[in-house]
This record gives sequence, structure tokens and C-alpha cells, in this order.
Amino acid sequence: MLKAFRWWGGLLLAFALLAASRMFLPLPFAIEVVLFSIYTIGCSFLVGRVGFISFGQPAYLALGAYATAFYLFYFGANPYIGIALGVAGGLLASLIVGPLFVRLRSDYFALVNLALAVIVYYLMQKVLAGVTHGDNGLWFLTNIASTPVLDLSRPASFFIFAYLVALAVWVLYKYLDDSVFGASCLATKVNEDKLEFLGYSNFRIRLLAFVIANTTTALAGAMYAVYLGFVSPEMSSPSRAADPVIVTILGGAGTLYGPIVGAFAYTAMKDVISKLVGNWEFFIGFLLVFIMMAGERGIWGTLQPRLERLVSRSKEPAEKER
Amino acid sequence: MDPQLLISGIIFGLSIGSIYFLMAIGLSLCFGLMRIISLDQMLYYAIGAYLTYSVSLATGSVWLGALAGLVVAAIAAFAVERLLFRRIYERPLTFSMITSFGILIGGIGVIKFFWGVIPRPVPAPIGQQFAVLGTDVPVYRLVIVGIAVLVYVGIWLFLNRTITGKAIRAGIEDVEHVEGLGINVSRLFTITFIIAGSLSGLAGGLHAPLIMVEPSMGLEVLAFVFMVVIIGGLGSIKGTLISAFMIGQVVSIGSLIYAPLAQMAPFAIMLLVLLIKPTGLYGGAVARR
Repeated sequence: MLKAFRWWGGLLLAFALLAASRMFLPLPFAIEVVLFSIYTIGCSFLVGRVGFISFGQPAYLALGAYATAFYLFYFGANPYIGIALGVAGGLLASLIVGPLFVRLRSDYFALVNLALAVIVYYLMQKVLAGVTHGDNGLWFLTNIASTPVLDLSRPASFFIFAYLVALAVWVLYKYLDDSVFGASCLATKVNEDKLEFLGYSNFRIRLLAFVIANTTTALAGAMYAVYLGFVSPEMSSPSRAADPVIVTILGGAGTLYGPIVGAFAYTAMKDVISKLVGNWEFFIGFLLVFIMMAGERGIWGTLQPRLERLVSRSKEPAEKER
Repeated sequence: MDPQLLISGIIFGLSIGSIYFLMAIGLSLCFGLMRIISLDQMLYYAIGAYLTYSVSLATGSVWLGALAGLVVAAIAAFAVERLLFRRIYERPLTFSMITSFGILIGGIGVIKFFWGVIPRPVPAPIGQQFAVLGTDVPVYRLVIVGIAVLVYVGIWLFLNRTITGKAIRAGIEDVEHVEGLGINVSRLFTITFIIAGSLSGLAGGLHAPLIMVEPSMGLEVLAFVFMVVIIGGLGSIKGTLISAFMIGQVVSIGSLIYAPLAQMAPFAIMLLVLLIKPTGLYGGAVARR
């Protein structure tokens, strides 16, 4: 009972804080934070747990978004089915490229993924221009039918939906972190030879991690598509390739709540700075360099040990969560 | 296919391949010796192109502009190496990749600040046509190919005939051993990085008259240069040369057959090569560090 409480405690506290922030934050900002956190957690998992740095996340984001968009633009009107199809699209894409990519060394992996993002960009912008309408993008906001219970065409209820989805995603990732699978992911990052000797297959563990992470990213893409009612190739443009990596590093790679903290900080900074000056790239670039030079643990990665120490000091026996 | 179209296509492919080669050689050398992925090479490429634009506007000579681009790119590379990369050589590859991406994005911001976002044209320095097998091709493109071949020969001579070059080659094999022999590895790293940066700057300067110069031009070639490096194998100069010309031809001939092929075919080739040999054509099993 106590164990279950402790397992859920941190998670529920984090999401209670997120829900509370909804009260005094503008709605678009809150939705952006939630969606961006879902977008980032896959990348954070890959970087922090499996040791794969992926600059190709926008590729999976765009694939998920376009799968949803195709359904909503050409075939149906139910946003839930659209999101399910987006997730299926992302799952399919990562199952196809996964076996090929995860065999590579991590340096090649990074390069190949970035190349994939650019290729998806060209694919949507030029090659499939007949279906995707090229740079104009697909607009289908009016196509989305209002659904019973949670009407996704209204931003207020979309936030509740996104919030619930995020909670489910975080439960999944917390479960993964604690499971044998999570431990073996960390082991393939630290010492793959040793893991192989223990009788595990590096390839299978990495493939599973790759598929889970990128399907999560595709889910984020599908939800972006429904929320904005619009998709364009700009989603996987190479200049945005670093966004999830920045947020991952900003929040603290591989930590559970890093993506939420990172997404919050990043969206806030983007809002403030882009209002003050037009030259946004400059700040992003130098922020990235600064974080890398100052130490790679990020905001949450720096805060977490301190918070834990604070909590354990207030309790009688010094207990560590992990 | 029309033979005239084919010949001009091949020449076009050779010149594009030369540009890719000049840029990829920097990435490849940096990875081979320092084990970093230096995305900021794309920034030096853009710097080279913008200086070519400004200097050719002021003096009227594109060649002088390309030279200025090369020099400024080399200075920028030197500063970046001394200030930033120096601190991350010991860290995992992730660090260099994220840091260099930060430099690239930040640098694009700086370029936007100085030159604005409007694409700029650069006039071709040589307007003449030259007849190859009865087809007129621009002389400038042939000059680019010639420069790339000269650079290859120069790099080959440098790596095989000078003591610094030999030390760099030895460093690609085993850098700790080289350090043990009493060679100043840190100076070697700086030299390699400056060579890489100046070649990227040269590539930008030479490419500028063929395209429009714009702030995010580095991101446009990024994917192709990556594919060249991956297919050739990280750390191999010969592999880089072969795959650069291969990708150049695929892009050029592919676009003659069916326009979208120019973007997709190199990617398909890369997947195929990786399927057969995960380290690229000439990439050996590199020792982990």
C-alpha cells in the first residue's frame, strides 16, 4: 500500500501542479506545454536511457501528424480515430526504419536520423505535393466533428484530453523506468558487451525502446494536428530538429519530469524572448551551448537531488527513492 | 535520353559533388581525429558564401570574395575550437553534436542580424561556355571540379608527406599513442579543425554564384553532406571523395529523370549501403573512446 502510494505520489503531485498551473496560465500556453512534454519524453528516453541521441524526432512527429491529417482531410471527421491512425502511422514508420537504424553506432544513428527528418520534409513539401498541398499545408479545422463527452474541437476540453493522455504516457514511462526493460536500456547505454554476456539481445532492447519512443512522438504529432487543425512540412524542417533535444537537455535528459520542466521553461522563454526581439535563433543557439558548457544535467536534473535531500531530511530515516 | 542533356547533367553532378566533398572532408576529418560531429561546418559554409557576396559587391571580384570567405571561416573555426570544442573532446559524442548544433543555429541568428533574411545573388566570375563533346557547359563548374581535385591532392600530400599530416593520420588510428610519442595533440586538433572550417568556407564561396545566398543555406545542404559522409564512412578521405561524386551524380542525373528523385535517391542509396555495411563504404571499425 505504502509502496503503491510512493509510486503514484510523485506522479500525481507533478500532474496536480500541472493542473494547478492551468488556472493562472493562458490556455494555449498550457496546451503547448503539455503537447511539447509528450513530444519530448520520447527523445529524453532515447538520450538519457538508451544513449541514442536523435535529431530526427521531427520526422516521426510529422509522420504522425500527416497520418492524422490525411484521415481528417480526405476520409473522416472523428478526431479520436484520426489520432489513433496517427499513432499507428508512427508505429509503422518506426517498425520499418527501426531494425535498420538501431544496428548503427550511436554516431551514425544521429546522422541518419537527422537525414530522415530532412527527407520527410522534402517528401511532404515536394514529392507528395499532390496529396499534401506542399508548403500550403492541409487545413481541416472545420472538418473535425464535435464528439460526445470530450469535444476535441474546443480548446478547453482538448486541454483535458491532452492532460489525460500525458498522464497515461507518464504512467507508462514510469513503469518502463522501473521495469527490467528500463534497467536493460540503461545497461545497453553503459556497457553493451556486458549485457550481451548476460544473455540479453542489445538489438531487441534498442528496437523496442526506439519503437516506443518514436510512437510517443508520433502521438504528439497527431495531437498537434488535431489541436491546430493544420499541418505543413514546416513541422519536420531541419531548423526545428533541435527543439526536442534542447528541451530534453534543458529539463535534464533521462529524468522522468525533465521534459515537463523543460517544455515549461522553453515555451515561456520562447514567448518572452520572441516578444522582445525578433532574432530567436541566436538565443536558442547560445542557450544550447551555455547549457552544454555549464553541465549537462539541466534544470530538473540539478533540482531533483536537492529536493530528494530536502524530503529525506524531513523524514526520520534517510531514505532514497531509488 | 538526349546526350547533350546528359553531358551537362554529368558536369553539373561533378560540380555539386565537389562542393559536397569540400564540406564533407571537414566533417570526416573532425570525426576521425577528434571524435566529434561538427555540425557547425554548415555555418562556415554560410559564412564563406556571405563574405563572397559582400566582398564581390565591394571589389567586383568573386575570387577575392571566396578567399576572404575562406580566411574568415578559418578564423571563426579557430575561435570556436579554442573557446568551445576544447572543453568537450573528452565527453561523449552527444555533446559535440548538440553544442555544434547550438553554434550553427546561433550563427544563423548572427548572420540574420548582419545581412538580413533576404536571399542575395552572387554573379558568376566566369561567364564563358566551354564545348565538351559538342555540348556547351559553363567553365565555372569545371573550375570548381578542378579546385576540388586540387584540394584532394593537397590534402593527400599533406597527410602523407608532412610530419603534421602523418601525425594526424596516426591520431585517427590511436590518439593516445600519438600523445605518448610526445606530439602536441591539442595543436593537432586545432590545425585539423581550422582546415575543416576553411574548406567549408571555400565550399560556401564557390557554391555562392550557383545558388542564392541565404541565412539557412547551411541547413539545406546539411542532409546531403551527411549522406555523403555516412556513405563514404566517417573518417575516410577516399570514401568521402567517392561518395561525394556518387551523390553529386545521383542528384543531378536523378533530377533529369524525375525531379523528386534528386532528394529521395541519395537517401535510398544511404539506406542500402548501411544495410550491407553499417560503417559506410570505407569506414573501418573505429575504436571506441
